[in-house]
Amino acid sequence: MSKGERDRARARRIVEHQKAQARRRTVTMWTSVSVVLVLVVAGLIGWGMLADQEKATAGALRTPAAAVDDGTAFAVGNGPVTVDVYEDFLCPICHVFENESGATLRQLATTGRITLRYHPIAILDRASNGTRYSTRSAAAAAAAAEGGKFSEYHDVLFANQPAEGSDGLDDARLVELGRSVGLNSTAFADAVTGRTYWSWAAKATDTASARGVTGTPTVHVDGKAITEPSGGPPRPATLEAAVAAAG
Amino acid sequence: MTREKAWPWIATAARAGLAGVWIAAGALKVGDLAASGRAVNAYQLMPYETAKVVGAVQPVLEIALGLLLLAGLAVRLSAGLSAALLTIFIAGIGSAWARGLRIDCGCFSAGGELGAGQSPQYAAEIARDLGFLLLAGILLWRPRTRYSLDGLLLGGPTDGGKR
Repeated sequence: MSKGERDRARARRIVEHQKAQARRRTVTMWTSVSVVLVLVVAGLIGWGMLADQEKATAGALRTPAAAVDDGTAFAVGNGPVTVDVYEDFLCPICHVFENESGATLRQLATTGRITLRYHPIAILDRASNGTRYSTRSAAAAAAAAEGGKFSEYHDVLFANQPAEGSDGLDDARLVELGRSVGLNSTAFADAVTGRTYWSWAAKATDTASARGVTGTPTVHVDGKAITEPSGGPPRPATLEAAVAAAG
Repeated sequence: MTREKAWPWIATAARAGLAGVWIAAGALKVGDLAASGRAVNAYQLMPYETAKVVGAVQPVLEIALGLLLLAGLAVRLSAGLSAALLTIFIAGIGSAWARGLRIDCGCFSAGGELGAGQSPQYAAEIARDLGFLLLAGILLWRPRTRYSLDGLLLGGPTDGGKR
């Protein structure tokens, strides 16, 4: 092979190499653009799904007439200090809190020192094998409020609390517990089985989250979160002190 | 097998692993977007309205990123975006830890605040995310893998070594 042939061969290789590189750059550019587009579309889909859900919730919203606080809570008593209690009926610590401090709160409410506002919220739906016990029980409590028996039903739900990770109580049992506290109307039973207040439970939960409630039980005295120094839910003495300080 | 021949296989395993992580993480959260938003809100790093949107966008984004890695499209870019996301997650967990919040990271579930009997697993969560970050790092360094769309489009190792 002469020197000229060798040079031509090398030049050809260089040109081919450059062409291949240019092609790779083009392919890389277009694949990168595709990736970014796919991710942008995915993000928009997520946003759209959220908007759809919120629209469906707002459309199906039915609020019990007795509800206070923008329709998201049920009140006991009408004292000057407001105590907000955020609870999930599946939450075991809420049950412990009710056993320890529930009677104190009711007594403060009936003696006119506080307005006790119960906020049933549903944050533990993932812990009932897909039966959404948190939503079902909060919605049933709203139906009980419509029937004028919120406090009684609240107490009987905690007394019969199912374990986290179980299926929870089924709708028939929720209706039966209603009957045990005097909710005998078909309206109550229909509301429980017909999911009448599911959207209400979603709204109550959303409202609580917007106020910075990230767990249950959460107790606010005049809007201020109250806990034991350990971070646990407040015991009777702590509640009494907080109410005295606020009043 | 020489080292040069082994790398595409190692990188392919990293790609499959990272793809699986994203798809699993997204799929476990996409069913309850409201809960996903609450999990983001529990970090207390942004207003609730923003957390809701982030919580809804994130699971779908994770699934999409996993599918892109599975297909092997623009692997270096997908790996870079994965690394960026993981870094944000690690920073978020670290900040929750530093502020003494008691939350589940919500990485593979719609987590949120922990009950009284549970303790946060921040160190384990960060270690796990660092492992995922290592997978992304391998792909950033060696993005050419077997059985990828990149290989098909660019030519190169796509079919187990046969050209």
